Amino acid sequence: MNALEQARTLLEGQVLAWTEPETDRLDAEVSPENLLAAVTALANPTWGYLVAITGLDGGAEAGTMQVLYHFCSGPHVLTLRVTLPRNRPMISSVCGVIPYGSVFERELAEMFGIDVRHAPDASRLFLPDDWPEAVYPLRKDTRLD
Amino acid sequence: MEQERFTIPIGPQHPALKEPGHFIFTVDGEIVTGASVRLGYAHRGIEKAVESRNWVQNLYLLERICGICSHIHAMAYCLGVEKLAGVTAPPRAQAIRVLVAELERIHSHLLWLGVAAHQAGFETLFMYSWRDRETVMEILETLTGNRVNYSANILGGVKVDLDQQIIETILHGLTFLEGRIHFYLELVSGDQVFLQRTRGIGIATQAQAERLGLTGPTTRASGIGRDLRADAPYAAYLDYPIRIVTEQEGDLEARFKVRLKELLETIRLIRLLLDSLPDGELKSRMPRRIHAGETISRVEAPRGELFYFIASNGGDQPARIKVRTPTLSNMASVTALAVGLHLADMPMLLTGVDPCFSCNDRLMTVRNTGESSIWTWEKLRHYGIEYYRKRE
Repeated sequence: MNALEQARTLLEGQVLAWTEPETDRLDAEVSPENLLAAVTALANPTWGYLVAITGLDGGAEAGTMQVLYHFCSGPHVLTLRVTLPRNRPMISSVCGVIPYGSVFERELAEMFGIDVRHAPDASRLFLPDDWPEAVYPLRKDTRLD
Repeated sequence: MEQERFTIPIGPQHPALKEPGHFIFTVDGEIVTGASVRLGYAHRGIEKAVESRNWVQNLYLLERICGICSHIHAMAYCLGVEKLAGVTAPPRAQAIRVLVAELERIHSHLLWLGVAAHQAGFETLFMYSWRDRETVMEILETLTGNRVNYSANILGGVKVDLDQQIIETILHGLTFLEGRIHFYLELVSGDQVFLQRTRGIGIATQAQAERLGLTGPTTRASGIGRDLRADAPYAAYLDYPIRIVTEQEGDLEARFKVRLKELLETIRLIRLLLDSLPDGELKSRMPRRIHAGETISRVEAPRGELFYFIASNGGDQPARIKVRTPTLSNMASVTALAVGLHLADMPMLLTGVDPCFSCNDRLMTVRNTGESSIWTWEKLRHYGIEYYRKRE
């Protein structure tokens, strides 16, 4: 069984939709409530490692944001895709399962204004101390010029 | 009664490399009991900036994320965009990309060796390795015209080619470097004074390396054979396979040995590549607009796995590019591994993961004591132009 099929079995029942965007890639759409359960399923037994967390802002018109958790195992990349409402984006921290996720979550929180609940460290990572509150640089409607 | 915690700030000025990062260590006497990190002092907002530039302009911007491993950023970007566009660069171009990437690895590892030696107080090794690094810098300059930011890539291929004379220059340089690397390997595993700074210090066991999310030579020094060049071969690594180098100890000494042994493997690969360089075109035709879609491009940078997520909405500019550099992953390990070590070991521990802060930090803010602390792109550009005008 190849690694991606294994991931499919591990995540059975927790995924809203599967897509295979490219060879060696699998995207799993997961609801925000199911995220922690899905991440736990991947960590125990360990399936690959969390390589990055990507934030995607759909813009004011779409009214949604997405958070992608990319897990890699050799050439395979599994992405958990969580869609959040843009007016009140909130997601659970995965640090309880994956402690090194903290730096990725700190970046996600300050750049997109996503509330990462129960994060072990919610301080800023990259933005300066005097950066204005509620200005999230990577949101599409934030202009920095 | 609980004692008040004693904290020592290190940085943001030059905590290890000549780059900014801020660490707060909690200590009990000389022993570190806790650590936290604060980055962003070299953040330039590149992820935001790419969204207002076209695909070609972004190649030059992304290459400037890092001054040490610039080529690998451009290569990761090109491979990703080409995948989105359904274009494959010709074999000769892919081989030249790998050649430059491997030459860059030699320059990066030798630079690191010098910095690490300097942190250990071994100035002679620092001077030696940086002198020898000039050999590979000159090769890169001969090949591409630049010592850094070589700009060898273009979307769809490369813009530099090799002739017999350049090949001979490279081979001649490699022979010299190979001898030097053997000498350094002997030195870092035999010099008793140096070993006191490295052996048994900052140990990351295999289980810890997995749990801390380490990447690159730092994981390989903990016995995990993970290297994207072998695990998910890209460009010409499929035709020129690499052998993964690992060490088991997981301490600073193992990190020195892994990087140096990796260079010997790099030299073997370059010789093989130059011996059987494919003929043919240097570039394929690329469209100006890129199909809507998302792709992931992963490459093995000198410091570990470099991850690009590229999204296009079908226009001539990307919708989003996410860059995850290896240093960000490795940084989490520094704060975890610091606990229990002496405060004096911190610079060495930090250097051990070969941190690259400019890779890490990507928003245009310059801290200033004046009224405005945030500099916009325009303002900085204007400042730069004025500065050089006055100097003339």
